[in-house]
Amino acid sequence: MTLAIQTVGLSKSYGSHEALHDLDLTVRTGSVFGLIGPNGAGKTTTLRLLLDIIRPSAGSVTVLGVDPRAGGASLRRRIGYVPGELRLDGRIKGGALLRHLAELSGPVAPGTIETLAERLGLDLSRPVHALSKGNRQKVGLVQAFMHRPDLLVLDEPTSGLDPLVQREFLAMVREASANGQTVLLSSHILSEIQQAADDVLVLADGRVVAEGDVASLRIAGTRRLHATLTGTSPAEIRAALAAVEGTDDVDVTGTAELVRVAVTVRGDVDPVVRAIATGTIRDLTIEEPDLEESVLDLYARAKEAS
Amino acid sequence: MTATSATTRTEREQRTAFSTLPVLRRWMAEGRRSLLGWSAGVAGVEVLYLPLFPSMQSPELAELVASLPPELVRTLGYGDITSGAGYTQATIFGLIGFVLLTIAGVSWGAAFIGGAEESGRLELTLSHGVGRVQYALESAGALAARIAGLGVVVFVVVAALNGPCQLELDLGNLLAVTAAWVCLGLLSATAALAVGAVSGRRSWGVGAGAGIAVVGYVLQALANNSESLDWLRRLSPYDWAFGTAPLTNGADLPGLTLLVGASLVLVGAATGALARRDVLG
Repeated sequence: MTLAIQTVGLSKSYGSHEALHDLDLTVRTGSVFGLIGPNGAGKTTTLRLLLDIIRPSAGSVTVLGVDPRAGGASLRRRIGYVPGELRLDGRIKGGALLRHLAELSGPVAPGTIETLAERLGLDLSRPVHALSKGNRQKVGLVQAFMHRPDLLVLDEPTSGLDPLVQREFLAMVREASANGQTVLLSSHILSEIQQAADDVLVLADGRVVAEGDVASLRIAGTRRLHATLTGTSPAEIRAALAAVEGTDDVDVTGTAELVRVAVTVRGDVDPVVRAIATGTIRDLTIEEPDLEESVLDLYARAKEAS
Repeated sequence: MTATSATTRTEREQRTAFSTLPVLRRWMAEGRRSLLGWSAGVAGVEVLYLPLFPSMQSPELAELVASLPPELVRTLGYGDITSGAGYTQATIFGLIGFVLLTIAGVSWGAAFIGGAEESGRLELTLSHGVGRVQYALESAGALAARIAGLGVVVFVVVAALNGPCQLELDLGNLLAVTAAWVCLGLLSATAALAVGAVSGRRSWGVGAGAGIAVVGYVLQALANNSESLDWLRRLSPYDWAFGTAPLTNGADLPGLTLLVGASLVLVGAATGALARRDVLG
């Protein structure tokens, strides 16, 4: 197994603020790796460190086998990067900007820019300052993919894109992966990570709170359970749920005739269903485990532990 | 790592040939409108002022200048205003042209690194196949090229008006003063570039570049008005450029060397600063 990215004990501080603490990250060549976490978790900091836009305070980074600082321009020609806060201004036209960037990171196969632009629905003849946020993001995607880099580093790549273009983007990621390219993407849109990524690392407050394959994170996920009950009372249900471990945000309303229950369940749902079955269950829904809630939950547990 | 990274030799050669000075060329392409605007401004000032010269060669004007407070005359550099060279120096190179050149050069210099960083453009550019040293040096090159472009405009317009406006300028001396003017502008512009590169802030670059121009002007004005303060002129870039009146007396090589040397030091500082630090948005 070769590694496209490896960091060991990677840390970054700005003054007294530690944006990233002791990150060990390994990304396999050819995989799609998802980096998730709340805002300010250190995702952008991590990705900028890989591109040598900022330099680490401690620890080491290896990207495609070399240190980003030593690798310099020739390493970055092998990387495609979408910045997290992509801002484009000036009268330069989208096509001209892309041709300029292609000069820096080329060679770009003839027609690639046009093909990608067409695929994403981007008008290359408009000046970038006149583009909508979504269209600027498309420019960002084209410049990252156009030279078919070995590694794609994408920071919140779908922000501002409409759902159809998001789907096209996911197809592009799958094609890149099939093509042997490695993809590292950060997102707070969790469905995107669920659909695209093989492996996931969860960051919060600059620290790793979980990592593994997407499937295992879903199993550990939390779910929201809703039930409507008769033949019991709110007080009785509250007492029954209080005895069950791994429940949160318990919300019991209603009267003796009709009790409504909503509860967040961490882990196994069986004891919860048994607990509320003291009454007659008229209606029961259990939502699909949500990665975002899982992340917040993991985050809370990591905080408790520290 | 994979087949996608395999670049053949021809491809690499093509790339090298195709991307000679890509950063510099982009700054020049994007700066066309700006350069055109400033050129029109500088040319406009020349066309406005120089044709007035024949009508000002009168005893009345000489009397008027004589009646002004000598401090004011020395500060404005109007002592020799009745000669073509003195008039051109006092109005164009030493005053309004100097102000226009400084504003243009400083705004460009501050934009190329500090401004680009603030706008997020630098992060995107530097994530591609360009090194920081290369970026800084090519930006400095574009700065010099744009300012030299203004120099060409100034020279050509003054030379064209020389005969019709009875300025009686020596073209060699005109070239000398244009070189001094360009190098003086370059110094403020590279100061803006360097401070923009150190701070990552456009406004700090503008402050530094404009500050050097203003302080340089004030120092030589003070020196002109007091013998005991005469030593101050040695610290003034304005005096390095115009102290020996190159439009009258020809090129001042030590002065030019000082200006170019200081600009090179500032470009080095800009390059070193950008290469060493984090790029932030």
